Amino acid sequence: MGKANPLMPQTVTVLDITTETPDVKTLRVAGKEGIPFDFMPGQCAMLSVPPVGEAIFSITSSPHCRDCLEFSIKRVGDVSGVLHELVSGRQLGIRGPYGNGFPVDEMKGKDLLFIGGGIGLAPLRSLIGYCFANREEYGHIDIVYGARSPADLVRKSEIGETWPEQPDSTVYLTVDAEFPDWSGHVGFVPSYVSELAFTPENRIAVTCGPPIMIKFVLQALEKLNFAPEHVITTLEMRMKCGVGKCGRCNLGSVYVCKDGPVFSLAQLNELPSEY
Amino acid sequence: MKKLLLKEKWPELWALLAHEGPLYLPVEEGSVVLYQLWQEGVKVNLEAVNSTVSPKDIFLPREETYLRYSCQGEMLDLEDVESDEPIIAFALHPCDLKAIEMIDRVFLNQDPPDALYKKRRENTTVVALACRQPDPYCFCGVFGIDPTDAPGADVMAYLTEKGLLLEEQTAKGKILLEKAAPLLEVEADETNITVDVKTQDFGLQVEGLPEDLQERFNDPVWDDLFRSCLGCGICTYVCPTCYCFDVEDYGHEEGGERFRCWDSCMFGHFTQMAGGHNPRPSRKERVRQRFMHKLCYYPETYGEIACVGCGRCLRSCPVNLDIVQAIKALGGEKVG
Repeated sequence: MGKANPLMPQTVTVLDITTETPDVKTLRVAGKEGIPFDFMPGQCAMLSVPPVGEAIFSITSSPHCRDCLEFSIKRVGDVSGVLHELVSGRQLGIRGPYGNGFPVDEMKGKDLLFIGGGIGLAPLRSLIGYCFANREEYGHIDIVYGARSPADLVRKSEIGETWPEQPDSTVYLTVDAEFPDWSGHVGFVPSYVSELAFTPENRIAVTCGPPIMIKFVLQALEKLNFAPEHVITTLEMRMKCGVGKCGRCNLGSVYVCKDGPVFSLAQLNELPSEY
Repeated sequence: MKKLLLKEKWPELWALLAHEGPLYLPVEEGSVVLYQLWQEGVKVNLEAVNSTVSPKDIFLPREETYLRYSCQGEMLDLEDVESDEPIIAFALHPCDLKAIEMIDRVFLNQDPPDALYKKRRENTTVVALACRQPDPYCFCGVFGIDPTDAPGADVMAYLTEKGLLLEEQTAKGKILLEKAAPLLEVEADETNITVDVKTQDFGLQVEGLPEDLQERFNDPVWDDLFRSCLGCGICTYVCPTCYCFDVEDYGHEEGGERFRCWDSCMFGHFTQMAGGHNPRPSRKERVRQRFMHKLCYYPETYGEIACVGCGRCLRSCPVNLDIVQAIKALGGEKVG
């Protein structure tokens, strides 16, 4: 049975753990020969620490990083809680990759608008890294990213230094309210997107964040005349198997773990709004 | 050619088959009949239609350990648990075999196949038993199932006055009957096989229902239908086409196991996320999910309603919120 059992994890080792915000840490993990499997941006993996159990997380690193996988994880439950407590050298279980990933081929030749909120940057970061690694394939890149407070912005060195320095790209940061140490934009992500008035011509928007933010970002993009086919998001649901069988992430005739988690707004409009 | 196994020789056959590997058959215990492992002294009931819980657990056990872990310091060791026994599933009725076919589409034909289920399916020889006397709750005919025929079985069996007529349908079935040969009567002159078994239809008419439901996710019918539901989950527990499962660890930090077990979309925690969000927060969404999955989502992918008319939810639901009531509430009734 062994490898043929899709529920059977392999082990990887924690290389290091970085504290990003008060409740987000980034784990870097690797197997004996670097990444335990190939994947595409937007795909996920099941991480497990027995006896606490398994949970699904988006892969944060870009597929171009061959020596390790990165996961930026917000502490919200049992598994994320125990992952936060791990130390370098500790082994954990991993299986995957799961899901369809972002449509990186369809996005070729287009200007890209990435809109993230809070920990929602985790799956987007893999995609942003992929696009920068294949820079000539894509047009102008805009990144709008926000969080509740400056302390809640993740991947500070990338959003503050690495990404703005990339050719033909712009990073817009915002926080929800005024803070003494913040001189940048203040306001919610959806209204910042409206304010920046991105044009829909030859542009694909990809958004990920808390459900309430996604809801208003989709409305903002609709007002800016983005076609539903050109608006892409990624869903988060409870999952146990990751292979379209256990039933938790069933949405109409699709399973989010297998047929998603990435959907265009046009596809979501055809599915029951139960996510 | 059919071969006869006289009634008085049944226990000898059970003993012979059980010697080959686990033998599951309908066992009566008090008021319930369940497919259980045969052992000396159990009360086998071949007349029961239908068993209280479906025999799906032969292929998808209620609990199934599939890995053992041990952790020493930083090192984690994961070892898979294999089970590779030849299984015999005896006296499964045509509706339950049809339900297995429906689960096969999800667990065998969708990539990746479910390795645990696949192994059990491959290792199992299925002896189907034609229905002679359907239960008042049976309505398999609504879904085009013939209660006297089970195309997916390895051996087809028929109850007669004298005993059990057996007929091989596959190579696996042939092997099984060869093993049983010393117990079988060569000349089976029995022609007393009921082939015209009529089940209820409860006035149902399901043609076109899946297509109709595609536009009815927000139908007002869902605002009321769920109200009597207690959320006990018995419908999913007894149902032969329900296959949702959970994965959990059992043990301590140094060692233990990971298992999967049946779960139910009727339970609130089923879709409850760690952060607190629940896409199906109330019984309304959960009742809708169960019936929409059976009547709309599954047929959208596989072309058939995921109900075989076994009648178990009619018998078990404490508030009669069974699939017949649901189909009727959704308009799947004969006109006139």
